[in-house]
Amino acid sequence: MGGNRNGAFQYQDFESPVLFASTLKLEGSKPFRISLISDPDMAANFWTSSHHKQLLDQEEVDVVHPLDKERGITLDDFKLIKMHMANYIWKLAQFVKVRQRVVATAVAYMRRVYTRKSMTEYDPRLVAPTCLYLASKAEESTVQARLLVFYLKKLYADEKHRYEIKDILEMEMKILEALNYYLVVFHPYRALSQLLQDAGLNDISMTQLTWGLVNDTYKMDLILVHAPHLIALACLYIASVLREKDTTAWFEELRIDMNVVKNISMEILDFYENHRMITDDRIIAALSKLKP
Amino acid sequence: MEAYEKLEKVGEGTYGKVYRARERATGKIVALKKTRLHEDDEGVPPTTLREVSILRMLSCDPHVVRLMDVKQGQNKEGKTVLYLVFEYMDTDLKKFIRTFRQTGENLPANVVKSLMFQLCKGVAFCHGHGILHRDLKPHNLLMDRKTMMLKIADLGLARAFTILTLWYRAPEVLLGCTHYSTAVDIWSVACIFAELVTKQALFPGDSELQQLLHIFRLLGTPNEEVWPGVSKLMNWHEYPQWKAQNLSKAVPNLDEDGLDLLYYEPSKRISAKKAMEHPYFDDLNKASL
Repeated sequence: MGGNRNGAFQYQDFESPVLFASTLKLEGSKPFRISLISDPDMAANFWTSSHHKQLLDQEEVDVVHPLDKERGITLDDFKLIKMHMANYIWKLAQFVKVRQRVVATAVAYMRRVYTRKSMTEYDPRLVAPTCLYLASKAEESTVQARLLVFYLKKLYADEKHRYEIKDILEMEMKILEALNYYLVVFHPYRALSQLLQDAGLNDISMTQLTWGLVNDTYKMDLILVHAPHLIALACLYIASVLREKDTTAWFEELRIDMNVVKNISMEILDFYENHRMITDDRIIAALSKLKP
Repeated sequence: MEAYEKLEKVGEGTYGKVYRARERATGKIVALKKTRLHEDDEGVPPTTLREVSILRMLSCDPHVVRLMDVKQGQNKEGKTVLYLVFEYMDTDLKKFIRTFRQTGENLPANVVKSLMFQLCKGVAFCHGHGILHRDLKPHNLLMDRKTMMLKIADLGLARAFTILTLWYRAPEVLLGCTHYSTAVDIWSVACIFAELVTKQALFPGDSELQQLLHIFRLLGTPNEEVWPGVSKLMNWHEYPQWKAQNLSKAVPNLDEDGLDLLYYEPSKRISAKKAMEHPYFDDLNKASL
């Protein structure tokens, strides 16, 4: 379990010095006990961010666009294709060498696009690499379009879906409109390292396990539905159960709704359970419904 | 782009032209910032993307310029261009200061105070959202002459971007410090403060070295005692030794409360939020800003 199958983690440099990731300030209640953010004046505020305002209900995320429905895409297909494309972005990212944070932002963009647009009109095989391209710019580690296209051709031998630079650039504009130019995404990584440290669980083994778990949450739509620090907490919760670390007292002190954390944890565990049943054939079948 | 009627070109920045325009449907005057897309096959420039995404997040603050819309259009050659639609502001602080320099008058103390408060408030808001501006200067501070409203603009600067003006750059940046913090912007705020009072740039250097020497001459050459770690910074050399001068000499007409806002050492530099609570602003009607 965990993200190991995806290769090395790059957690040293995930954080942009300009845009800080998720904050730990909770609305209403007392600020999180752990205010470890080094510069309190810089505590990026997730709660007033556009990301926070854009959180959706699961029911809103699980809507298959009418155009896709016409082609026989089911909700399962829909989820499967998004997962496949998240993996694809990850793979592509390893070739072009970008930080984990860029991958996470790209996947979040891709998932946001499909809450508004159909896969029929916005082919995921073009949307996915374009999201990586866009995310690399937004996160200040630009990847050249021609480099991306080079690896794209290498990864997708498929003749029907050969994309050139101009295709990427055209899709970039369409994605920007689809996202309504909201490009800031908060991720669980920063919260995670702060939480691990606070819980005294920041050894290499726990760090790697939780980091892998967070990486895997991008195979699901969690980032569209839940606040990043809650996703981080769910991953920490799962890891502490797996490694038999007693964190009950620590969680109690956090003043958070433990039910929410446990529900997210259950979703993650369910995902792993179902993940075993996914075969390449199912993914190919789902994708082939889109474009013959 | 038929929705807007271009009236006149009001500026030309690094990224493209800025127009005053009228929204046809409402008659409202707006500023259109036209962004050239790279000709080298790289789509929307990262600086534009960053500016747009940051503005999408911060534009709700009264002291950050308001981005009303983003429109895609085509230029004469049929290439895609991006228009950022901003509320129209009729001047900026650079021009505003210039008009006073020309007449020889000073900016009224209460105007300086009000502008400074608005600046601190806007900067505090940016910092509260995890955003460093990194290029605060009078030219980037838009103003409305009538209401004396001040708004921060040009938030799109990427790290890689070479900042053209050195005058507002913090000493730790000049000395090659790679980890920037909010103190970088506070330094610029302090320089702008002095300029509002004297109508002249506080440290008008024309090279990085000269910029440092300007600063050292006024504030004294820093050493390990006043600034622990300074000699370990990348660009540190042996510099001429100057003693700190009396700041009120360089910035006359400024009452003592105001002087407290000009700090030297980064970690001790006041935060924008704290600055807003400074006694200097006590007699200001903050509620109206």
